[in-house]
Amino acid sequence: MKDQTTYETKFMIGALRRILVIEDDAETATQIVGFLTTRGYEADLAVNGTEGLRLGESAQYAVITIDRMLPGMDGLAIIRRLREAGVSTPALIISALGEVDDRVRGLRAGGDDYLVKPFAFAELLARLEALARRSAAVVKETLLRVGDLELDLVSRTANRGGRCIKLLPREFQVLEYLVRNAGHVVPRAMLLEKIWDLHFDPKTNIIDVYVGRVRRKVDSEQAYPLIHTLRGVGFCIRAPR
Amino acid sequence: MLLAKTLRSTTFRLALISIGVFGAVVIALFGYVYWSTTTFVLSRSDRVIEAEQAMLRNIYDTGGRDGVVRAIDQHKAAARLEGGVYLLANESFVPVIGNLGEWPSALRGANVWGEFKSATLVPKSGASRSLFRAKWETLPDGYHVLVGRDISDLGRFADKIYIALAFTILLIFVLAAVASVSVTRRTVGRIESINAASRTIMESGLGGRIPLRGTQDEWDYLAQNLNSMLERIEGLMAEVKQVNDNVAHDLRTPLTRMRGRLEKASIEKSTSDRDQSLINETIADLDDVLRMFSSLTRISQIEANQKIAFRIVNLIEIATAVGDLFDASAESKGGHVQVIGDKSVRISADRDLLFDAISNLVDNAIKHGGDRGIVIISVEQTDDGAVLSIADDGPGIPADELAHVFKRFYRLERSRSTPGNGLGLSLVAAVARLHGAHVALSDNRPGLKVELQFPPLDEAV
Repeated sequence: MKDQTTYETKFMIGALRRILVIEDDAETATQIVGFLTTRGYEADLAVNGTEGLRLGESAQYAVITIDRMLPGMDGLAIIRRLREAGVSTPALIISALGEVDDRVRGLRAGGDDYLVKPFAFAELLARLEALARRSAAVVKETLLRVGDLELDLVSRTANRGGRCIKLLPREFQVLEYLVRNAGHVVPRAMLLEKIWDLHFDPKTNIIDVYVGRVRRKVDSEQAYPLIHTLRGVGFCIRAPR
Repeated sequence: MLLAKTLRSTTFRLALISIGVFGAVVIALFGYVYWSTTTFVLSRSDRVIEAEQAMLRNIYDTGGRDGVVRAIDQHKAAARLEGGVYLLANESFVPVIGNLGEWPSALRGANVWGEFKSATLVPKSGASRSLFRAKWETLPDGYHVLVGRDISDLGRFADKIYIALAFTILLIFVLAAVASVSVTRRTVGRIESINAASRTIMESGLGGRIPLRGTQDEWDYLAQNLNSMLERIEGLMAEVKQVNDNVAHDLRTPLTRMRGRLEKASIEKSTSDRDQSLINETIADLDDVLRMFSSLTRISQIEANQKIAFRIVNLIEIATAVGDLFDASAESKGGHVQVIGDKSVRISADRDLLFDAISNLVDNAIKHGGDRGIVIISVEQTDDGAVLSIADDGPGIPADELAHVFKRFYRLERSRSTPGNGLGLSLVAAVARLHGAHVALSDNRPGLKVELQFPPLDEAV
């Protein structure tokens, strides 16, 4: 499980490393801020909606995390107000509700991603970084490479060291998504969301089993492994340095 | 349908019994009236006959036979109005004087009293023959004298009573039958409407109420009581649900903190491998507890009828997505998941919920289907909607346990050792209810087959 500690934080786009945390539960807030600080981010904390709105409007942040239920102001209302004020900073909604419709409502209000309490900090970070990366220009490529793995996006084929890897269509999609985010952790729920269009975390290990099969096809009888699992969080594809 | 129910109902049977009793009383009453009236009239005419006979005896005693002849001759004139008959005959019953043509054969020998028919004496009666009642005796000189009365009126009176009785009874039966059928129908109809309302409430949730008619009668009273009972039940259910939700919700925050602390501890570089594995096991257990809470909260939210995320979806697309996802899991047990069926089966559904429900069923099929099991998901468009079925070739579920598997936290005895919390099928049931789908479990010989029968697109709300 030292896997989690070997995980390296990538610099965010534009070297903007400030994150606004709007969270009313003191201990959770301290934990989040503490964790982000150890990862080299500068985290500002707002303990209520009004303060969060003020900070969000005044300073420039890479990402904002917002608790769904806040004293004074609802998390969704803050996002709406920020968007009205022209702040387009990506927002990650953190909620303890986990209601069926919450996600729908959260995203409609302009939240960019959604995380249900309790969560692993590594997943929080993975999602925050994914949100920060989102604004990066999408490079139109037909060939993706990680180490000696090559994905041909036109013929939808994969090969490693010149040897063809037989993949089912959805397995290819999973691999493509991992490769597109090479070097970054892809949370399990995010994979389910992007590949299976599933907007809730079934909290089962079924996706691990699935990625396990992809990994067997990609990594077996190879010089080094490419696909790494961060238990309880997600997956990461990366070539050895 | 309603008529059959009417005839079978208790009210109708009670009505029939009361009609029977009432009819019997009416018959008895008429019988008594008839008996007492005829007895009275007969005894009265008998007394008149006896009085006249006594008078003739007196006349004989004082004036002899000639006196009797004269008396009869006088009486004969008045007899036309009173309907009286008089006859004096010699020893061999040959008429001497009187208003009868011949001695009636019914009055011979020991028969002192007798009844006979003869040409009528009273022209107004219209009938050519009348019924007479008479008494005779032999005078001391051997001649016979007969005194009688026309009792045809009594017969006609009896006939009238018979007819009246028959008509009355017929009328009573017809009226009573009509009345009891209509009363019973009203009763049955009202009970039926209460029954129908109860069934709807059982099927569609406790929100419904039995409609009142505003008549303030006992049925409205019953409906009111049932409604207040429903209100109580609904209130209690809401309270229980509230408590559940609060527990699940309020436990999340401290559990989140706990998980955070553990995670922080696991990130510390100084943590030993032993502590690290302890921490990870604790986090895994914590996640299990949280998963259970999520499932409970999720089920109660689904049951609260949240249909906002309903879209038109292709059932086969969802089935294929689930099949793909779980195929890897089945493969690790040496089996596989196969999806078959029509290319496009459209229903109105919440994709995430349906995905979750089907996942649960497929997961169960893989988990309990045994090694090298083949799970078949089939999707089919039918005349009355769509059917999705998940079948495995494992040991199945014993028939006597089939009814229980949808209960929360219920687990088969032999599954207790496998991971799971017994909430999967409750969630499936809740999702099915939200979609108006019917869940059917059946024996796949071997294995278990679960069918979700969805209503057609136009009927789904």
